[in-house]
Amino acid sequence: MDTKRFNSGPGSMVVTRVADGQWHVLEDDLVAGRGYSMRRPDGRLFVSIDAWRSAAFDRLAEVMLADLPEPLHTVADEADTELTAGWQRAGFTVRRREWEFVLPTDPLVTGLAPGRSPSGVRIVPAGEADPEPLRALDQAIREEVEAGAGWQSMPAEIRARAPGVTIADPSRYAVAAAPDRYLGLLRLVSAPRRPRIGLIAVLAGEHRRGIARALLSRVFVTLHLSGVTAASAEVDESNKAALALLEGIGGRRAGSSLEMAR
Amino acid sequence: MTKHQGALEVEGYVVECLRNAMFTVELENGHRVLAHISGKIRKNYIKILPEDRVLVELTPYDLTRGRITFRYRN
Repeated sequence: MDTKRFNSGPGSMVVTRVADGQWHVLEDDLVAGRGYSMRRPDGRLFVSIDAWRSAAFDRLAEVMLADLPEPLHTVADEADTELTAGWQRAGFTVRRREWEFVLPTDPLVTGLAPGRSPSGVRIVPAGEADPEPLRALDQAIREEVEAGAGWQSMPAEIRARAPGVTIADPSRYAVAAAPDRYLGLLRLVSAPRRPRIGLIAVLAGEHRRGIARALLSRVFVTLHLSGVTAASAEVDESNKAALALLEGIGGRRAGSSLEMAR
Repeated sequence: MTKHQGALEVEGYVVECLRNAMFTVELENGHRVLAHISGKIRKNYIKILPEDRVLVELTPYDLTRGRITFRYRN
């Protein structure tokens, strides 16, 4: 265990690395805060600090940042001004913003016409897609993304998988199918109270055909009929097409997360 | 109520999501506290909604405030 004592200021604090990737700060024998680091599947190192007072936050940050290699990343709710200010004091700056949307599922609100798809495209509901072309589509989309900005600007967490194994559970995907191949997919993540659109993606050559709308329409009708009134989704603020799509179906911005780095 | 490294942890239900990234949580004993989300939860993109059953760590400095450290699947 590595320990650093701070005796300046109103009270003395002791920051200790209690385990790999875990620190805590004691103030008068009370745990005044904890810090954690974890490596994401994409290789980036993320840190978090939970402290009851800003002084404890600053002490933890000082020790953690000295221990860890840069670049470091963290995620903060933009509405949590105390937390974002703490990270800014520690030298972190905002790298990207992600909007959280609440999406109605009622076709009367979304304006999504149930059963209507672009010409030559059929929407295959979740659980009915053929796994092999679905994996081929997933692989093609991954290659397109990695050839561009990469997954780092994607709001959904993309997990690294063994070569050739990209989709863990094909039953969670609705797909847009042409007669000879799949063109787009939508992954719905079940959550206790509000399902989440985990990923919606269409092959680059098939954009602007209304395929994403058709996927959303099919999935939302199913949710609506089962009594689910809303779903959630996160969108990077630079993704103008996705923002327009979700706002166009009555999506409401419910909050925003900041990814900060130093 | 459990004690974790000197901190009080109590189960409760989320009553309300407030505008400033805070939540009102009603604890098992009927008390209500103001809580925010722990960094570990946020890093894992776990969303908190009203009616969620959660574990709240109370601050030793002020027992009306806390942080949500876990969301149960219920």
